[in-house]
Amino acid sequence: MSSLLIVDDEPNVLSAMRRLCLNAAVLPAIPNPTIATFTSAREALGYLDAHDVDIVISDYRMPEMDGAALLAQVKERHPDSARIIMSACSDIDGIVRAVNHAGIFRFVSKPWSDPDLKATILEVLAHRRLLIENRELADEVRAQRDVILRQKLELERLERESPGITRVRWTEDGGVLLEE
Amino acid sequence: MSAKSTTNCGRTADIDWIRALYELGQKAANGAHPQQVSQEILEHIVRGFAAESGSIALIVDGTTDQLELAAGTDLPSGLIGKELPRGTGVFGHVVATGQPVLVNGNAAETGLPLRGSAERQRSTHSAMCWPLQVAGRTIGAVAVNRAETSPRYTPDDLEQGQALTSLLALVMANHRMHVERDAQILELQTLNATMQRINGMLEDAQNQVIQSEKLASIGQMAAGVAHEINNPLAFALSNLGSLEAYLANLFALLDAYVEADAAIDAPGNAALAAARKLRAGVDVAFLRSDTADLVAESREGLLRVKRIVQDLRDFSRGGAEEVRQALDIHDALDRTLNIVRNELKYKANIVREYGALPEIECVPSRLNQVFLNLLVNAGQSIDGVGTITISTGVDGDEAWIAVADTGCGIPPENLNRIFDPFFTTKPVGQGTGLGLSVSHSIVRKHGGRLDVESEVGRGTRFTIRLPLASASAPTVVSDVEKRAA
Repeated sequence: MSSLLIVDDEPNVLSAMRRLCLNAAVLPAIPNPTIATFTSAREALGYLDAHDVDIVISDYRMPEMDGAALLAQVKERHPDSARIIMSACSDIDGIVRAVNHAGIFRFVSKPWSDPDLKATILEVLAHRRLLIENRELADEVRAQRDVILRQKLELERLERESPGITRVRWTEDGGVLLEE
Repeated sequence: MSAKSTTNCGRTADIDWIRALYELGQKAANGAHPQQVSQEILEHIVRGFAAESGSIALIVDGTTDQLELAAGTDLPSGLIGKELPRGTGVFGHVVATGQPVLVNGNAAETGLPLRGSAERQRSTHSAMCWPLQVAGRTIGAVAVNRAETSPRYTPDDLEQGQALTSLLALVMANHRMHVERDAQILELQTLNATMQRINGMLEDAQNQVIQSEKLASIGQMAAGVAHEINNPLAFALSNLGSLEAYLANLFALLDAYVEADAAIDAPGNAALAAARKLRAGVDVAFLRSDTADLVAESREGLLRVKRIVQDLRDFSRGGAEEVRQALDIHDALDRTLNIVRNELKYKANIVREYGALPEIECVPSRLNQVFLNLLVNAGQSIDGVGTITISTGVDGDEAWIAVADTGCGIPPENLNRIFDPFFTTKPVGQGTGLGLSVSHSIVRKHGGRLDVESEVGRGTRFTIRLPLASASAPTVVSDVEKRAA
């Protein structure tokens, strides 16, 4: 299950991309895609207030708010989303800005190649999953480290109260082994 | 000079002699060889004064006392035009004082204040020397000598000769002016030729500026419309892909129904009858094969548009992405050859004649694009099998890279159009007519030139010339670039 949000001021581009992403016959197929499309960046941001998405794909040159500005806001509100920018013009300055400020994963130029675009989307999704997994694992490690730390503190307290207690050697039947 | 052939030349101011002298002066004006005229004038004077020999010396331009032998009788011809030692001899004395002298016997006897004792002792039977003066300015001197067999000149001869020599001075001055004029004409002609050459160069430069501006404005336009074209291009291309997939589904479904149809036996079913009737009127096999063609052809058309837009956009590229770096040209040529090897291997023998080249400051990707264009063009120009020769070298402060083919060549009427955008002789779909104009523009932006030589039936040779020193693009070009950026 992958949720995609696509923003482009050109409705025909949106429907072409929707067709492409939904069509499993054009390989590689995107597993269980759900797709939301918007011609307005503001409406897209409104949608994001209520929904989580895995990946946001935005055109660069749009009226009211360009793709770089949109994706920068998306990054702030949904740091876990993957972000791709697309452009029909080679506006290097804008793209540099997008990459640096909006943490863009990929840049795709228009017209795109269908298999390449889908492969890019899958790659970015996989990359994002890895990032999230990595962070979850790191959290887990940190939590476990907390447990260990608490146990260690308790042991130190016991040792302070009854020195040597943490080094007592027990026999199988519960007896205490004294030093020979 | 019959009237003056007597011993007393002063008796006659012979009109004929004067006229002849004047005519000699005119001769110089009419373009006769100046040295020859001087000589003829001198001989005329020698005859006129019934002398055996004589000489004329003129002051060299820009000096006051440097004399140069202009004519002489009985003198080796090599002496004519030679400078005389400054301020010496009878000539030196006459020019310095502006006074004529009569020398009978040696100078000491005559009382001439000559400098060297040798000069004072040199014996002269009889000689006269007059300064040549025009408007109070001394321009030289003339001397005549008599041999011992003739009577000596008298002070009267000297005085009457003075009147004639002022005429001679005018003729000589006139003559000298003609010589100067000729020299000036020659100089003007040289200047003119230089001007014409420079003019031609300016015209060339101007044409190149016009060409660059043309390319620049196309680039600007292309950058503007690229966005407008690429968006519809994007969804149209992508939709074709989806359509292809949908059609495959539809035809599979249709096949399934057609197969199922054979198994259905429902005589009274109107819907089935209608469907069968419809199917009979439709050539499904044709639709299947033609929709595939249709999609493929439409896609090819759109891809062609995509390529044109990309090529056009290349004109306006500039600035941030164009990072110049030192490039090993031979390395770059080899890598480009690898890319086109497949396209060329059945058409051409590739001959590499690499000279010694230093690394060149350039934008490697752009220069590779030029190499690629030239190599592909060379390959396309060859019918059957030919040879493509890639040679390099250094010429003065330029590096050159030449791509020569043994292909069909370019007719002269097309030679000055090949760098025009959209000019192509290739069949539709094979070339956009932009390859060479893009290459031309790239080489110009590197401060270099792209030259072409071609002979129909023999082949074509493109030569890229790049300055060895970096950042030497001419200012005109960078202005154009600025406008294009």
